Amino acid sequence: MYPAHEPGKRTDSLNMPHHWAMVVDVDRCTGCEACVVACHAENNIPTVGDDQAARGRAMHWIRVERYWEGEFPDAKLRFQPVMCQQCESAPCEPVCPTYASYHTADGLNAQVYNRCIGTRFCANACPYNVRFFNFFNPVWAKPLHLQLNPDVSVRSVGIMEKCTFCVQRIHAGEETAKAEKRELKDGEIKPACVQSCSPMALVFGDLDDPNSEVSRLSKSGRSVKLLGDLGTQPNASYLQKT
Amino acid sequence: MKKSEEQVQKDLLRPLFESSAGYWFAVAAAASLVLAGVFALLYGFYSGIGVWGLNSPVFWAFDITNFVFWIGISHAGTLISAILRLANATWRRPVTRCAEAITVFALSIGAIIPVFHIGRPWLAFWMFPYPSERGIWPNLRSPLAWDFFAINTYLIGSISFLFLPMIPDFALIRDRATGWRQKVYGTLSLGWQGTPRQWHRLETAMHIMAIAIIPVAVSVHTIVSWDFAMTPVPMWRSTIFGPYFVCGAIFSGIAALILAMALLRKFLRLEEYLQPLHFSNLGKLLLTFSLLWFYFTFAERLTTWYGNGESEMTVFWSTVRGQFAPLFWAMVTFNFLIPVPILAIKRLRTITGTVIASIFIVVGMWLERFLIIVPSLSRKYLPYAWGSYRPTWVEMTLMASGFGLMALLYLVFSKVVPMIAIWELKVGMQEPHHAGASEAVAAHAAPGKPAIGDLSS
Amino acid sequence: MKAIYALFSDPGSAQDAFDALRRSGPSMGIDAGKIVVVTSEPFEGYDFSDEHARSPMFPLAAFGGLAGGLFGYWLASFTQTSYPLPTGGMPIVTSWTNGIIIYEVTMLGAILTTLLTLLVTAGLPDYKPKLSDPEIWNGKLLVGVTDPPDGARAALEATLRQAGALTVKEFPAVAA
Repeated sequence: MYPAHEPGKRTDSLNMPHHWAMVVDVDRCTGCEACVVACHAENNIPTVGDDQAARGRAMHWIRVERYWEGEFPDAKLRFQPVMCQQCESAPCEPVCPTYASYHTADGLNAQVYNRCIGTRFCANACPYNVRFFNFFNPVWAKPLHLQLNPDVSVRSVGIMEKCTFCVQRIHAGEETAKAEKRELKDGEIKPACVQSCSPMALVFGDLDDPNSEVSRLSKSGRSVKLLGDLGTQPNASYLQKT
Repeated sequence: MKKSEEQVQKDLLRPLFESSAGYWFAVAAAASLVLAGVFALLYGFYSGIGVWGLNSPVFWAFDITNFVFWIGISHAGTLISAILRLANATWRRPVTRCAEAITVFALSIGAIIPVFHIGRPWLAFWMFPYPSERGIWPNLRSPLAWDFFAINTYLIGSISFLFLPMIPDFALIRDRATGWRQKVYGTLSLGWQGTPRQWHRLETAMHIMAIAIIPVAVSVHTIVSWDFAMTPVPMWRSTIFGPYFVCGAIFSGIAALILAMALLRKFLRLEEYLQPLHFSNLGKLLLTFSLLWFYFTFAERLTTWYGNGESEMTVFWSTVRGQFAPLFWAMVTFNFLIPVPILAIKRLRTITGTVIASIFIVVGMWLERFLIIVPSLSRKYLPYAWGSYRPTWVEMTLMASGFGLMALLYLVFSKVVPMIAIWELKVGMQEPHHAGASEAVAAHAAPGKPAIGDLSS
Repeated sequence: MKAIYALFSDPGSAQDAFDALRRSGPSMGIDAGKIVVVTSEPFEGYDFSDEHARSPMFPLAAFGGLAGGLFGYWLASFTQTSYPLPTGGMPIVTSWTNGIIIYEVTMLGAILTTLLTLLVTAGLPDYKPKLSDPEIWNGKLLVGVTDPPDGARAALEATLRQAGALTVKEFPAVAA
């Protein structure tokens, strides 16, 4: 159905200026979850409450997965931050009946809240379980409503949402660079999670720029794709623990 | 002595003119179930889908189980009416209308579920292809868009298939009834007269529709199965889903038909029209499909087990040995281990026997749909994201009200339309004009039992 | 519309009556198109009318299917190209999946065409009063002539009775 995609290579017909990608260094991740908190703050993600979270409805666009390896006294803990992989061959895109989930020219998987009617097909199709549904109307108890980010819309009940690589920051960065009549610098645009990561385990940038940090790291020998054998061609790479 | 046509008409028209207290009680019970469902639905609209038991990662559970279940049940009519009509199996005559009615009603119930299970149901019309001011059309790559086209085509086809043979019966009632009935049935009968030309056109139209509706029915449930098979979920991405689901649909459809026939036979006193022969023949079909269902299930599971993929085996073991094992083994028992002996042994293949087998099969097939959806969704690829599911009272009420709606529609239908196509039955009772016709009638009669047309007293 | 008709108890005698009327019709001034047969069930193998041999319904249904297919093709490709969305390099018009839509609309076209053809060729709906008798629902066959010329009445009655009519009546029923 779709022409063959080579990872890292873009078809030029759409004149895509950037190819956003993220690299996660699993070795550096300490599991502090500052990225999770920052993401909640930046993207107006509601906290669902302990009862709903126990029911499995917590909405963490980025989550830090925790895996135990080995037995006591040699038990090791491995942290794996998982967010939307912005797959090139995303299984969530063809299945949305209203085009709420589609692929932008920048390599992002966009979720258009206004088009979403809540069939939840995309969430079933996502192998990474990174899509979250608003089962109820989100509520921010006063005065927390003052903390909402005006750059990001607030979603209502029945809408699917997920990590957007902080597309509002990407657009803001692109507009700033355009206004100042210059190219974007590598590392200028930082999603909230990348910005808040103190061990600098998360790196964000443009794969089309051969000199960017993400280009360099994604070619590293430690770089793997999460669930790469499924053929989703994710735009996020994981640097394995050595 | 052949039953006179007058007697046949009297028997089959009686339910339209007489009602018992039991009938009204049944209608009240069904209507209250439907009302409870409406209340549960409105509560869901008001509060959000959160009042259901869905969560991350189990985003579909009871809602889609019931959707696939009802679409599956709707395949009864197609098989009986269309395939048997094309195969010239004359024993189908008393059975076609009940079957076609099941199809239309089950399909209607199934078709409204996708509208109500979405997060923002008031925007469901966005799935309809119309030039909208938003500047986009529906995504035709999505299996849900295919569902829209397939289910609507099948619905229009089944309604036509049900309505067309009713026209001559409406004309009969028009000529027999007085008052408001005459007016209503007069309008519904479209001024039918009964000239040979009209009969010929009607029968040709039925023939064409029978040929057309079979591929549509096959495609409908295949497309419903592709709601699952088009995703990379462990044990969903299976190429066998299309045929598997169609087989399962016809299987559950025949079982539902047997149940409906048994109820009609008892409550409308149609013992002489719906004979043990019909149940026995349908029972043989049910047996075939039970074996076919087992074959498909076995083939799918053997291939999965042989491939030993890590995620697939997680789901596999969760159904065979783990959390879902009781439901899984119940399903195998209900769909195969219990029905096959009952249906295979001729002495057990009585009306009671086939009804018992059918009840088990209907429950078993509901379980099958549930076990396809929930175990796979609860055990996807990343173990940290695994989950579980438990239905809430809202979902249980909605499910019960689906059954209530089916019962209500059927009860109302049996009161306004004769449940057996009178003119088709009369054709079956005709003195055979060709030698071939009489052989066909005699061959279908069980030895020692009267032939269909020969209702000797 | 007036008519004279007779009721027969079995299709054989109805066929004889029909044939007799066809044969002697021109001499009585009765047009073949005015001979009407009304039954409550179809009778296979009897030739009450000469219109049942071939019907255009099958080719029409096929044509309707073709029309549906073309419409489905247009719908799928038109909707996908009229508002082209960025798909990240993936094709905007996808043939395999459009094929499913095209198939469904084809079948819908065939079904709707058959419905329409039936209604048109069977002359439905038509609520004008038509020749009929309540007895046909008890298994009798009706063979009659609409608007017979006055002089032919006696000859008509004789022909019908000779073929084995149970009764000969007039339509609309005359009050006794």
